[in-house]
Amino acid sequence: MIGQTNTAMESDEFILLAGRANPPLAESIAKILKVEVTCPISIFSDGEIRVRIKPNLRRRNVFLIQSTSIPVNDHIMELALMADAARRANASEVTAVIPYFGYSRQDRKEMSRVPISASAVASLLVNAGIDRILTLDIHSEQMEGSIKQPWDNVYGSYSLLPALKERNMHNLVVASPDKGGFLRAAGYAKLLQAEGIAIAYKERDLEVNNVSETVNIIGNVKDKDVLLVDDMIDTAGTIVHAANFIKEKGARSVRVAATHGLFSGDALKKINESTIEEMIITDSIKPREEVLNNKKISVVTVAPLLAEAIRRIRTGESISQALIL
Amino acid sequence: MKLFSGSSNKPLAEAIAKDLTTKLSPIETMIFPDGERRIKLNANVLEENTVVIQSTNTPVDQNYIELFFIIDALRRNGAKSVTAVIPYLGYQRQDHVFREGEVVSLDVMIRFLESLKVDKVIALDLHSIKIPELFHIPITHLSALPLFAERIQSKAFNTLVDSNNPDDFLKDTILVSPDMGGLRRIEQMSEMLSGIPWIATVKDRDLRTGDITIKQFEGPLNPSDLPGKRALIVDDMVSSGNTVVQSAQLLKDNGVVSCDVFATHAVFSEEAPELLQESSIDRVYVTDTVFISEEKYFPKLHVLSVAEMISKELHA
Repeated sequence: MIGQTNTAMESDEFILLAGRANPPLAESIAKILKVEVTCPISIFSDGEIRVRIKPNLRRRNVFLIQSTSIPVNDHIMELALMADAARRANASEVTAVIPYFGYSRQDRKEMSRVPISASAVASLLVNAGIDRILTLDIHSEQMEGSIKQPWDNVYGSYSLLPALKERNMHNLVVASPDKGGFLRAAGYAKLLQAEGIAIAYKERDLEVNNVSETVNIIGNVKDKDVLLVDDMIDTAGTIVHAANFIKEKGARSVRVAATHGLFSGDALKKINESTIEEMIITDSIKPREEVLNNKKISVVTVAPLLAEAIRRIRTGESISQALIL
Repeated sequence: MKLFSGSSNKPLAEAIAKDLTTKLSPIETMIFPDGERRIKLNANVLEENTVVIQSTNTPVDQNYIELFFIIDALRRNGAKSVTAVIPYLGYQRQDHVFREGEVVSLDVMIRFLESLKVDKVIALDLHSIKIPELFHIPITHLSALPLFAERIQSKAFNTLVDSNNPDDFLKDTILVSPDMGGLRRIEQMSEMLSGIPWIATVKDRDLRTGDITIKQFEGPLNPSDLPGKRALIVDDMVSSGNTVVQSAQLLKDNGVVSCDVFATHAVFSEEAPELLQESSIDRVYVTDTVFISEEKYFPKLHVLSVAEMISKELHA
């Protein structure tokens, strides 16, 4: 009876709010959770963001859905300002659901006298009033240690695997386009019961940005269906180099699976002209029209994954046991 | 002391450095194809007293994030102290909850500056007198009003407005607050100008559309006192320009012979430059707290520099 009284005092309702980065994904998540999602953001004439939250947040769990994709600074600030408004409106807990986390590659001092931008962003969000962060395939999981609050990270593989299994790849070899992605490739290889793993080497010149070259490969790809896996496709330079190289080495087909599709610069042109047969990404970043219309690119949704993660955060069920494959 | 500048107002930062007979320490900014930027300090800051100069006007979010990253880099690389010079403080008009459910954006910015361990902030002509109270670190609140007062009493200005009284520049000159919120500013200004009289125009805002109309006066002077006067409108900032343009029109309709605007921050949103140029305002005086790009210049515009004022404060 005492337990019931306590439960009655805490509202069972929770509120979904979304920034302007990816409304379709937020709506898909809301639909699965059978709730409404609203966007509390408008813009003043001088370009400043304005947030006004209309639903009653008192003693409610609030989830703020926002990918901090381009324009990254505006999207970060929308999220921070929504958190402050939610705090002031008496929310009991504020969770930031950040499917794509901008600046996540600036996660260490890769040279002297630079900031750790990703860490500064995480601190800004916590400082603004966020109690918990949920990300999807964050570039480096060490980021979770940059704040004292809980940080859950789930993987795009949960959503990508069913689509990959449908592809009927034979003599499957899962490849990583760089040394750093070995564990990811090994994970996918296990889940897809692949025949083997391959790693393409690259040497990246830090002074010249986003220029990379594939120089070598470990593993046998001859006459195999190869699946290259990565966390994100940005300018697509690395992945296209790796794919073309693998094809040259005699692979039967080369597909790519990645969680975040940024497609910056002339990425789509590079992909179209490459030997990549198909690229499968998720909707963590709102896909542009030209991405949706690209014949080589398939988009799968992470809405069921994120909806389930939100549900489990609410009810206190484990995330790692069910959602991390 | 080492000075660094963000990208929002390099000319002002350079002028401040020049006044302090030094040079800006270089910052390298790399812009990635996805729009993210990475800044790199190209100077040693270990055990140095450092200053970062960045106005957080439009694009406000980019300018704030850049400021945060520069401070993060200064701190992580061992700077002894960090002073943030923010000549125009973005989000300052959102300094309290106006309506339920709103954000206090300015407080989010201040809290984060504090958490980055900024030692001191220098800002100019804040919208509300209460804003410094939101800071828990020292803040120096400078004002461009003395700069304006000096200009108003200069021969150059009075030649420009074709004064008939070369010996008494302030004769027949009145101050105008474009709305009732600016009275404190007007009183300060009047004090600096031998107590010349003032009047305010009354702004009505349609809460539904946000449109403003200015139709009446209030204050010690009467509309009947206006014919033949030189009016000086004083405000903290010009955004869309609507307020000062309507205020000036009402003054002219009531017989003032000339109308000049003095406002610290040239926010100039929307079509402000065109609106101001085509209005009944004779001259618009602003400062360089906000960088004014070439396409925003117009013939009636005059820009005074706050560089000396800031460098004096930094030197102190």
